[in-house]
Amino acid sequence: MEKTGAGVVVLSAKEAFEKLEKVGEGTYGKVYRAREKATGKIVALKKTRLHEDQDGVPPTTLREVSILRMLSRDPHVVSLMDVKQGQNKEGKTVLYLVFEYMDTDLKKFIRSFDQPGQNIPPETIKSLMYQLCKGIAFCHGHGILHRDLKPHNLLMDRKTMMLKIADLGLARAFTVPIKKYTHEILTLWYRAPEVLLGATHYSMAVDIWSVGCIFAELVTRRALFPGDSELQQLLHIFRLLGTPNEEVWPGVSKLKDWHEYPQWNSQSLSTAVPGLEELGLDLLSQMLEYEPSKRISAKKAMEHAYFDDLDKRNL
Amino acid sequence: MEFDLEDPLVSLEEEQTFTISELFASESEHVPSPNCLTSTHFRVFCCEAISLILQVQVSCKLDPFVAYLAINYLHRFMSSQEIPQGKPWFLRLVVISCLSLASKMKNTTLSFLVIQKEGCYFKAQSIQRMELLILGALKWRMRSITPFSFLHFFISLAEIKDQSLKQALKSRASEIIFNAQNDIKLLEYKPSTVAATALIFASHELFPQQYSILRASITASEYLDGETLSKCFDLMQDMMRMEAKELMIDTSFLSTETPVSMLERNTKRQRI
Repeated sequence: MEKTGAGVVVLSAKEAFEKLEKVGEGTYGKVYRAREKATGKIVALKKTRLHEDQDGVPPTTLREVSILRMLSRDPHVVSLMDVKQGQNKEGKTVLYLVFEYMDTDLKKFIRSFDQPGQNIPPETIKSLMYQLCKGIAFCHGHGILHRDLKPHNLLMDRKTMMLKIADLGLARAFTVPIKKYTHEILTLWYRAPEVLLGATHYSMAVDIWSVGCIFAELVTRRALFPGDSELQQLLHIFRLLGTPNEEVWPGVSKLKDWHEYPQWNSQSLSTAVPGLEELGLDLLSQMLEYEPSKRISAKKAMEHAYFDDLDKRNL
Repeated sequence: MEFDLEDPLVSLEEEQTFTISELFASESEHVPSPNCLTSTHFRVFCCEAISLILQVQVSCKLDPFVAYLAINYLHRFMSSQEIPQGKPWFLRLVVISCLSLASKMKNTTLSFLVIQKEGCYFKAQSIQRMELLILGALKWRMRSITPFSFLHFFISLAEIKDQSLKQALKSRASEIIFNAQNDIKLLEYKPSTVAATALIFASHELFPQQYSILRASITASEYLDGETLSKCFDLMQDMMRMEAKELMIDTSFLSTETPVSMLERNTKRQRI
C-alpha cells in the first residue's frame, strides 16, 4: 500500500490483482490472466521491467504507453485500462499494463474450423474484416502503424464476434525504422514486399498488406504466403502476383535487397482464394497492390462495395 | 511523425474529420481538476514552479513547446495532490521531473545534469521515482491536448485561402497562448476555448478586415459555448492590457502616441 499526498489509497499491482495463470510471453515480458480483486473483472496483465536509466523513465516506454492510452478509445483496439507500478523480488520497478481480457484470438478461431469442407461463414468473414479495417483506420488516423499484424494479434470475443487489435507494443510513429525488430520479431507470412526488399521508410501500406493476407486466410483457412525465409517469402508472393518490375512497381529494382528473381507471370487471385465473391476479390487485390502508394487505405477499404450488405450498426 | 502539440491525435490532414470530435471529447482528460483552482497554495506553488520552468527554458534554449508541455503536466499533477508543506526540495524535483517527461515526449535530448546545473542535485533514481509518481497521477496520458491542438481546426472554419495569412495567424495565436501560460486563471477554460479566444485576438491584430469572418465562424462552432468564450475573452483582454501597460512603461518617455498606447486603445474596443 502507498499513500499519495491526497490521502488516496493506491493498491500496488500485487495487492490489486490475483494472478490466475500465465497465458504467454509477450514482446516485452510475461502476460497473465488475472482478476481484479476490487471488481472481480478478468484482465490481461502484461508485466514489463522498467529499464533503469540514468535519465529516468525510458522515453520509448513513456511514448508507447501514452500511445496505447490514447488508442484505447476505439472499440476495435484492445483497451489499456490502467498502468500499475510495482517492484519485483530484486526491488526493481516493474510496470503492469492492465488490458481488457479477450477469450480467444483469430488464429485459434480459424483453427477451430478444422473439418474438411468446414469454412468460416461469409458473413462472419465480412464482419471481422470490417472491424479489422476500422481498427486499423483508427490507428493510422493517429499516425500509428502496427507493423506486426497477424491472426495471433487480433483478439476476439467468441460470443459477440467482436475483434480487437492487440500488441501495439510494436506500434511506431511513421518513418521510424527499427531494423533489429524487423528481423527478430515480425512474422514473415504477413510481411509486405517492400519490407522484405529492405525499404527503410515504412508507410501505412505495410499494415494493409497484412490485412490482405489475413483476409485470404479467413477464406481458405490457410496462410496465403507461408514462407520460411525472407527469400522464400518473396518467392511465394511473386509466384502468385507475378515477379514485380519497374512497370508495375516503379522504384522496385532500386530497393536495397533487390536481386534477380525467377520471372513469373501473375495468377488470378481466385485460384489462390477460391470461394471469395467477386467484390471480395476486388478488395483483396487492392490490398495486395505491389506499389505501396497504390494500396487501398484502411478508411477507403471500409467504404468498398464488398461491405455494402453488411449490417454495421453494432460495429 | 513525432508527437506534435499542434496535432496530438492527427497526423494526416485528410483524416481531420475522422478525429476532430474525438479531440474535443478528449480534452477534459488533459486539464487540471477544477477544485484546485481556488486554492492559494496551488496558485503560489504553480507560479513559482512555472517561473523555474521558464528559467530553464531560457538557460537551456528549450523548444517553447517542451516548456508548455511541462507546465501542463505540472498543473495536472499538482491539482491531484496536496501541496506538501516544509519541503522546499519538492518543488524543484517536480519541476525537473515534468521537464524531463516533456522533453522525452518531444524527443528532445535533455539530461538531468543540464537541467540541474544551477541547483541542488537529485539522484537519477529520485527523479525516476518522481516521474513515475507523476505518470501514475496523470494515468500515463502524456500526449496532452492543449490549445495548440485546436488552432488548425478553427482556422479551417474560416476558409482562408491565403497560406501565409493562415500561418501568420497561427503564429500570433501561438505567441498569445505562450504568453498566457503564466496566468493561473486561464486554467478555468478548456484548451479549445483558449485557442478560439487567442485566434480571435490574433485576427483582430493582424487582419482587421478578416476579423469579423473569422470571429463569426469560430463562435458558430458547435463545440464552443458562447458565454464561456466571452468570459475567456474578457480575461485574455485584461492580460493583453497588462502586457501593453508593461510595454508602455518601457517606452513612455518617447511619446504619448506610441504604437503601444494605440494598441491599448484598440483592445478596449474589442468585444465579442
